[in-house]
Amino acid sequence: MIRLIIEKELREIIGSTRFAITFAICSILILLSFYVGARNYQVSLARHEAAKRENIRRMEGLTDWFSVQEVRVFLPPQPLAALVTGVSNDIGRTTEVRGRGELSAEDSRFNDDPIFAVFRFLDLDFIFQIVLSLFAILFAYDTISGEKERGTLRLSFANAVPKDKYILGKLVGSFLALAVPLVLPMLIGCLLLPLLGVPMNSDEWLRLSLIIGCGLLYFGAFLSIAIFVSTRTQRTSSSFVMLLVVWIFAVLIIPRTSVLFAGRAVDVPSVDEIASQKNRLSAQLWEEDRKKMGTFKPAASNNQPEKIMQEFNSFMQSIADEREKKMEEFGGRLNEERANRQRVQERLAFGLARVSPSATFSLAATSLAGTSLSLKDHFREAANAYQKQYARFMKEKTGMVTGGRMMMFRNETDNGHKPKPIDPGEMPSFAYDPPSVGNVFGAALPDIGLLALFNIIFFIAAYVGFLRYDVR
Amino acid sequence: MNQLNENGRRPMIEAINLTKQYDDGVLALDHVSFIVSPGQIYAMLGANGAGKTTAINLFLNFIDPTEGEARIQGIVTHKEPLKAKEQVAFVSENVMLYPNFTALQNLDYFTRLGGRLGCTRDQYRDVLLRVGLAEDAHHKRLKGFSKGMRQKCGIAIAILKDASAILLDEPTSGLDPKAGFEFIQLLASLREEGKAILMSTHDIFRAKEIADVVGIMNRGKLVMERPSHELIGEDLEKLYMENMAGYVEQAA
Repeated sequence: MIRLIIEKELREIIGSTRFAITFAICSILILLSFYVGARNYQVSLARHEAAKRENIRRMEGLTDWFSVQEVRVFLPPQPLAALVTGVSNDIGRTTEVRGRGELSAEDSRFNDDPIFAVFRFLDLDFIFQIVLSLFAILFAYDTISGEKERGTLRLSFANAVPKDKYILGKLVGSFLALAVPLVLPMLIGCLLLPLLGVPMNSDEWLRLSLIIGCGLLYFGAFLSIAIFVSTRTQRTSSSFVMLLVVWIFAVLIIPRTSVLFAGRAVDVPSVDEIASQKNRLSAQLWEEDRKKMGTFKPAASNNQPEKIMQEFNSFMQSIADEREKKMEEFGGRLNEERANRQRVQERLAFGLARVSPSATFSLAATSLAGTSLSLKDHFREAANAYQKQYARFMKEKTGMVTGGRMMMFRNETDNGHKPKPIDPGEMPSFAYDPPSVGNVFGAALPDIGLLALFNIIFFIAAYVGFLRYDVR
Repeated sequence: MNQLNENGRRPMIEAINLTKQYDDGVLALDHVSFIVSPGQIYAMLGANGAGKTTAINLFLNFIDPTEGEARIQGIVTHKEPLKAKEQVAFVSENVMLYPNFTALQNLDYFTRLGGRLGCTRDQYRDVLLRVGLAEDAHHKRLKGFSKGMRQKCGIAIAILKDASAILLDEPTSGLDPKAGFEFIQLLASLREEGKAILMSTHDIFRAKEIADVVGIMNRGKLVMERPSHELIGEDLEKLYMENMAGYVEQAA
């Protein structure tokens, strides 16, 4: 019985003109998203390589490491970020690293190409979230009410058809008829990635499969919602209007309102406020250090300028270390407070937004793609780790750690030799390791579970609704 | 088990004190009792709102009775609806099938849904030809079919189900005279096969022509029931009007 109903659904949906048109549009959009993602990846990669080269080029010709004030590290483009962009275009992709001092990322993709920020990218997140949820509604809004309007429901239930089997057959049939054909362009898109020059390792393939799996769960959730609504209405027009309202709330209103609400409910000090407090302390400490500098008395005699310079540098290093320590403590406390408030705000916003399957899917997909809000933290952590490496390297080369309003004085002596240029290749290289599959899966698991729960809840609702449905 | 009727035949379709009062208080069916035996056509006549469709809905268990029982082959429909529906085929006033399916595809789906598996394409073709649907229409999508053609498909589905009882809700409504005549011929052949047919209709002339028993319903009550042989020489239209009017006067 169920198989018969599934077969009929498959034949009815796939044989319709509505399906042919919608499927063609969705297939084009899916393939386009893969193509655009691959192109963006290549562009980002080219820019990334160019920026790295420029970073090294700036050091060319320098003859001592004292002249290297800072280096820049760059967030390398990730293949999955091209398919599910998340926040990857909004956060800074580069950080100026000095031997000491706080790091901050700058130069986001949207900062470079603001035009893309206007309508955002056409990625898989968009395709699933907006297009495929509408696709689910378009095909399932009349699942039950349409059969009733046509009169086929009455004829069907004049036979010994159990309602539970009928609704299960309808749901499975609709899902197979709509979701499976959509997997086809996705598979083609996946095959195109290596051809379009996007290298994917096994971890990334697994993560992409999980993203598509989440997309299908999300699609299933909307299908169940649509079937549920069609069991609560007698007319297809009412069902369609109700589902449009549900879609608008789920996709557009709930996620945005949640963030707005959380923004109002949890006050997070702005970056400018924090920076202002840090600057005040820094200025105060600097003023104190200037006074200390005035009290500097070299132990060496005046005819030993090199010794004096050494002593002075050592003195400067010690007060800079002390100042830096105070700044780090103060800045660390402010940053931690801000980060804690931000976490509370995020938890509240995402907790509220998860009422919507759309937000839940987006959170799961971006977690799996490594483009969720944690991307910023990962990049900062990697940059901080690099800063320590860099500081060690510079200390080896110069005997001191530069940066953080550090002043260095050198006594240049020209002994007639042409100084040898430094080798930038000696610099430690920055490595960004994307989070492992285990980590991203762990982060996405609650949302994947929630998507599965949405499917179960709305299927049960549709099932119960249909058991009470007047089939006349 | 249902008992034998006066003709020694076991009733196939039975209404026993069948009553239905809707939630809004409307008494759609008021203690109605009748039987339809195998090889018998029972025509339920009545105006709109007389309770004919409610009676059919009760036999199909689309609604539960407030009182009494509807039985198909002795099975109480609201107690064992699925078992009862295995024994019954239904043709509605306006047969609506899947418009994107061909006649054959619709026939195949509804026949299998009715529990009859393994029918061959030849069987489908034969039954469609039997109901008068020309062969060139068998592979056409239903969306281009006239009401008469859809009715033919509906009756073909009912025939292929091979149920002992057939329920027809205004089956000739809207059919042209030729299609109506063909439909009546088809009913006669099904009667010959021993099917029990309960037909609700407005069409007094068709009812007189084909029915073995005619019941007149008014305001949810069965106000007259006569075997057709008793109606020979009588003006059914006049009887119908009298019963309708009489009942209206009584009610007033």
